[in-house]
Amino acid sequence: MKILVSIKRVADPDNASKLKVSSDGTAVTSEGLEWKMNPFDDWSLEAALRLTENAAEKNARVGEVVLVSIGPNDEHTQRIIREGLAKGAERGILVEADDANLDSNVVSQILKAVVDKENPDLVVMGKQAADGDSNVAGTKLAARLGWPIINYAMKISTNDDGKTLEVKRELDTGVATVKVTGPAVITTSDRILQPESVKNGITPADHQYAKLEVGGRYASLKGIMQAKKKPIDQMSLGDLGIEAKVALKYTKFELPPARSGDTTFVESVEDLVDKLHNTAKVI
Amino acid sequence: MDNEKLINEVMGGGLRALNKLAGSPIVERFGLQDRARQLVYEGAKRAAETAKRLAPKAPRGETSRRSQKFDLRLTEEQQLMRDTLRRFADEVMQPAARESDDRLGPPEGLLEAFSDLGAISMAVPEVLGGAAERVSAVSQMLIAEDLARGDMGLAYAALSPLSFVNALVHWGDERQQTALLRSFVEEDSIRASVAVVEPHPFFDPAAPRTTAKKKGSELVLTGEKSMVALAHHAKWFLVAAEVPKLGPRFILIERETEGVEVSEETAMGLGSAGLGRLRLNKVRVSIDSLLGGKAALEPDALSAYDDAIDRGRIAWGAMALGTSQALLDYVIPYCNDRVAFGEPISHRQAVAFMIANIAIELESMRMLVYRAAGRIDAGLSCAREAYLARTLCSDKAMEIGTNGVQLLGGAGFIKDHPVELWYRQLRSIGVMDGNLLL
Repeated sequence: MKILVSIKRVADPDNASKLKVSSDGTAVTSEGLEWKMNPFDDWSLEAALRLTENAAEKNARVGEVVLVSIGPNDEHTQRIIREGLAKGAERGILVEADDANLDSNVVSQILKAVVDKENPDLVVMGKQAADGDSNVAGTKLAARLGWPIINYAMKISTNDDGKTLEVKRELDTGVATVKVTGPAVITTSDRILQPESVKNGITPADHQYAKLEVGGRYASLKGIMQAKKKPIDQMSLGDLGIEAKVALKYTKFELPPARSGDTTFVESVEDLVDKLHNTAKVI
Repeated sequence: MDNEKLINEVMGGGLRALNKLAGSPIVERFGLQDRARQLVYEGAKRAAETAKRLAPKAPRGETSRRSQKFDLRLTEEQQLMRDTLRRFADEVMQPAARESDDRLGPPEGLLEAFSDLGAISMAVPEVLGGAAERVSAVSQMLIAEDLARGDMGLAYAALSPLSFVNALVHWGDERQQTALLRSFVEEDSIRASVAVVEPHPFFDPAAPRTTAKKKGSELVLTGEKSMVALAHHAKWFLVAAEVPKLGPRFILIERETEGVEVSEETAMGLGSAGLGRLRLNKVRVSIDSLLGGKAALEPDALSAYDDAIDRGRIAWGAMALGTSQALLDYVIPYCNDRVAFGEPISHRQAVAFMIANIAIELESMRMLVYRAAGRIDAGLSCAREAYLARTLCSDKAMEIGTNGVQLLGGAGFIKDHPVELWYRQLRSIGVMDGNLLL
């Protein structure tokens, strides 16, 4: 099975308090921020790796994971690709582009061009990026490809190397189980990190993955050494024949108002509802 | 060191051009980026034969790419390592620290989890079955620093087998490397420990009292080693002993050998490393057990032993950095949040200055330790730098530990907070001179 996983470098969400809005309010400035792999993508990578390995045999690879990242060709983008390679992915692709010229529309076009080139059996993506929170690129990509889209996957299982998959989707109203014939686009939720969330028919069904709470697997020191030898192909939008312009314009950014820090204790549920409705006016 | 000697050393190290450029013999690079190492590797005096066999090829053009800027940033590889190790320290080690200290040993599964990270493969060159293109003292130092951020005792337990592997890689002969290293790499776990420190006053790692007397084709070892990590768990010990008329050498000893006795040892700190005392009572081993084999009988093999002492000092310095950093990261939010007399205590200068001093001292320690390790990777001698690092770290680590407790007031004294544990761990830096090496 060959899986394409898109990864994006985002400003470290743990450092969100350092975010600043430019003086004219039209952009979020990125100076002084630390960059890391979008956590949602980290989880989707974990799912893709589990689909393409035999975990009982020291995570022996039985398929291929190709990473693609779109962004400036700088140390940060390269580093998250290298991190993914260190975790076990086979190859990386860096599509060079400016953040200002990217939105879900352009991204989905770029990803389609990469899919056409690579012919993967599956595309596994984070459901959204931790910076823009748009939650659109996966669906748009599927629409462009004419492939099925399965959003918010929390469990994925296959018994025929990904030709058909059973996916449980996490919804506000419950869990939906869908069966899909590949190729398909899947976006994952954080529950995909659960020890039993991915069954690929190769790793023994009773295998227990380590309990992960924050992110995907560790990039092992050995993996980091080995990742240096794995290839990262670099390409431009021109190489992929893309001339797309952004369709989305942000008109204004505002930081959330500072919290007052007042704490009110309530005695009863009625009291709570009353305060939420009449004082805070949130319900 | 006088200037002339320093210049010679630097020039001998192939850094002539850079030195000229900098216009001062004092300005040297830390060598953190590890670029010029290969050029100077051949000039390095240590372990000639082994080194030659292990020396990796320098990628073409590597030396010319070396930045002319004074740049202390980590390489991409080191940064990725750091991400992994910090996560491991925060998610796995720190939560286990308190309990391990109480029960005097690492919790089940922790050493295995560390093994899974593949630190051993990273320490072993490709030609010996590992994954390292080249072995880097800076990378090893970063491992020590980041693990000690989680817990110094557990870091000591994790690093002690790694030190054993490092010694084999640096100074073992072909037979020893083949016999031991390959199996370690395949299992990615080893039960081995290093024993240098001895339980007597004025202990000097350069002059161990443990003796290894030559009798025919055998060595007979007598002596006592203390604060040995994982002493009950280890199958192999690397013991430092004085070979009469020759000087101190390392000797590989199996736990099962007759005359080897291990007993429990409890101490103020580092308890979570599973400390033990090792008694050697006329232990007879073949002369082939000398680390480096017959070559270790040559007088110039002493330089390998001296090198090991330097590497040990850097390792303990790095441990001091990690735990001190954990402490600093803990006291800052604590003192900003803790309100007394109507305001956060960090508004009081007595508190704020103390924290600022910790930060200044910690950064000074870091510069010395990094510099010493950087010099190893550049193929330069680091005896002086490692000793300076050790002296500063053993002084300041203690001070940082006690100030950490002080900043928390009465809360620092009780076990609800980790600072009293860190204080006890940081006291060990002055005592531990050996038992680890990069």
